[in-house]
Amino acid sequence: MLAGGDSLEDLKGLHISSLDGEKEQQNADDDLNGYEDADDEYDDKELEFVTLGFVEEPKSRWALLRQLFPSKAGGVPAWLDPINLPSGNSCLCDICGEPLQFLLQVYAPISEKEFTFHRMLYVFLCPSMTCLLQDQHEQWKRGPEKPSRSVKVFRCQLSLINSFYSSEPPRCDGSDKALGTEAPLCTWCGAWKGDKVCSSCRSARYCSEKHQVMHWRSGHKVECAQIAVSSLSYEPSLPNGASLVNMRKVASKSIWPEFAIIIEDECEFDREVSNADNHANLLVSREQMDETVESLLHNFEGNDERKSWATFQECVAKAPEQVLRYCRNAGSGDSEPLWPASSGRLSKADIPRCGYCGGAMCFEFQILPQLLYYFRVKNDVDSLDWATIVVYTCAASCEASLAYKEEFAWVQHSS
Amino acid sequence: MAERGGERGRFGRGFGGRGGGGPRGDRGRGRRRPGRREEEEKWVPVTKLGRLVKDGKIKSLEQIYLHSLPIKEHQIVDTLVGPSLKDEVMKIMPVQKQTRAGQRTRFKAFVVVGDGNGHVGLGVKCSKEVATAIRGSIILAKLSVIPVRRGYWGNKIGKPHTVPCKVTGKCGSVTVRMVPAPRGAGIVAARVPKKVLQFAGIEDVFTSSRGSTKTLGNFVKATFDCLLKTYGFLTPDFWRENSFRKSPFQEYTDFLAKPIGKMLTLPEDTERIEA
Repeated sequence: MLAGGDSLEDLKGLHISSLDGEKEQQNADDDLNGYEDADDEYDDKELEFVTLGFVEEPKSRWALLRQLFPSKAGGVPAWLDPINLPSGNSCLCDICGEPLQFLLQVYAPISEKEFTFHRMLYVFLCPSMTCLLQDQHEQWKRGPEKPSRSVKVFRCQLSLINSFYSSEPPRCDGSDKALGTEAPLCTWCGAWKGDKVCSSCRSARYCSEKHQVMHWRSGHKVECAQIAVSSLSYEPSLPNGASLVNMRKVASKSIWPEFAIIIEDECEFDREVSNADNHANLLVSREQMDETVESLLHNFEGNDERKSWATFQECVAKAPEQVLRYCRNAGSGDSEPLWPASSGRLSKADIPRCGYCGGAMCFEFQILPQLLYYFRVKNDVDSLDWATIVVYTCAASCEASLAYKEEFAWVQHSS
Repeated sequence: MAERGGERGRFGRGFGGRGGGGPRGDRGRGRRRPGRREEEEKWVPVTKLGRLVKDGKIKSLEQIYLHSLPIKEHQIVDTLVGPSLKDEVMKIMPVQKQTRAGQRTRFKAFVVVGDGNGHVGLGVKCSKEVATAIRGSIILAKLSVIPVRRGYWGNKIGKPHTVPCKVTGKCGSVTVRMVPAPRGAGIVAARVPKKVLQFAGIEDVFTSSRGSTKTLGNFVKATFDCLLKTYGFLTPDFWRENSFRKSPFQEYTDFLAKPIGKMLTLPEDTERIEA
């Protein structure tokens, strides 16, 4: 950075050793060009192939069931492996202990490997902003003990031949049925396994005591007695709960509205060379303002924060409704996420290693804040807000004994 | 490209599959919009402040200035100031960087925006293409819009036309002093600050500067600092006690409206039964 505002002529004679040190040939021009380095990287990396996700109302009631391998946001998760669901502490926010809420899931198969023919990534987070702010500190921790996160990502993968789905592609006309049984889900949140049963009516299931209490207070107290009476006459809840699943109604009012995620490639949105009409009326002051403007330039380029937001806006402007950016390049040079803010970025060196195979992790996709707009999240002081959530996954997409493996999520806040 | 799709048959390609004509067809309607016009009008806010502005809860930029909230989306300024915000590209300058394969030229665009009515901003952006640089610098300029206070020289007739009082701004060794001027005096200043003052909407002003004004970067920054101070100067109009107002995030919360605690402890009155 410049020391004070010396004039350009003075600087041409001086050779101030900058803090970076290695740039030997720094002369006055480099003050101006120094700022270009940040832009450089951005301009050159535009050639990556990015897939965008947009949210849309689901076309039909059955379009988002698990047998159709959907990508969706909000609502309840469509678990790929319906039996071996995450359980225990992985369902809970490590900071406040509440069960996590489903944010979105992404169907991202990898065609090269056989055991990743079906591959789903699920993102859960705690809807409390205080937890998210605490999580900001936790996500930096790399120690031997596990950090306490409030954002969790799960990966599940299956090969083409498996016990849950037929090897035939789904017909997508409403007649597809899921094979096999499913673990019962919590009646309040619809996300986690419902291990605990309501002792009086024996039909309502819960993942945790907290949800049982919430459901009880918001109406189950009344209907519990009714269910208990009517269930004495005939056999109640079916073992695989297929009919309930089709309805997909959950008791909680605070889960986010359900959307389907539509996939489009970013290159489709590139505009044709934008009109150069602006050219005509620009150079109002062509007179010698070179020195003027040169020194103006580096004073008014705005601080880093603004510049990164402006760059982000330009990139997003091609398709302003996007909520997801997917770009996975395992092995052939890692791709970089698009960072909205300048602070709170994760550099490549700081990406942790996979907890199961010890291999490297790579960037897979990022979630953009437009999603909050579609979810109609309130705008109070303490309501949920982020700049971006970046998900890193195992580059080898390793197989482990666990059906749902945890991956790494990084949250960046707008300061 | 095609064989990838072939392996999966009619299974959805999911994210990460490249190209493919089939899946695109049945997944969703084509998202190609007819013209650029539609795309530009559709703004999906990215920040909390943007969402409040889009909902219409915030009516003017002054509410944002009052609480010193950072503006991160230029559409906020567009929506609140409206079409009167004009931009002008002052200069495009090619800058070069020496690479092994010759010189790599990029363009730096310098834009000033203002509505001629108390708001002005400056932006600079460098890019490989001129159009991209101009677009980027307009965005940056809109993000840096500041309010300017105007007042009268003498009789309070008509609209305010000059600075309200003598103000001075300093940056580096340059100090710029702006003095109220009578109508018709025009902007008495050097060329570049004159441009900025025109966009700010000041019609008459006398300026006086000291220090090394050859360093025009500092010179213009001092002018900007001066303009910022117009609202910082305590004049007798502000003597009246002002109560603190709630920040826009607190003002528009529905949270305060309902006593949520009550709803949980009285289950009798909530009949929210979900099948």
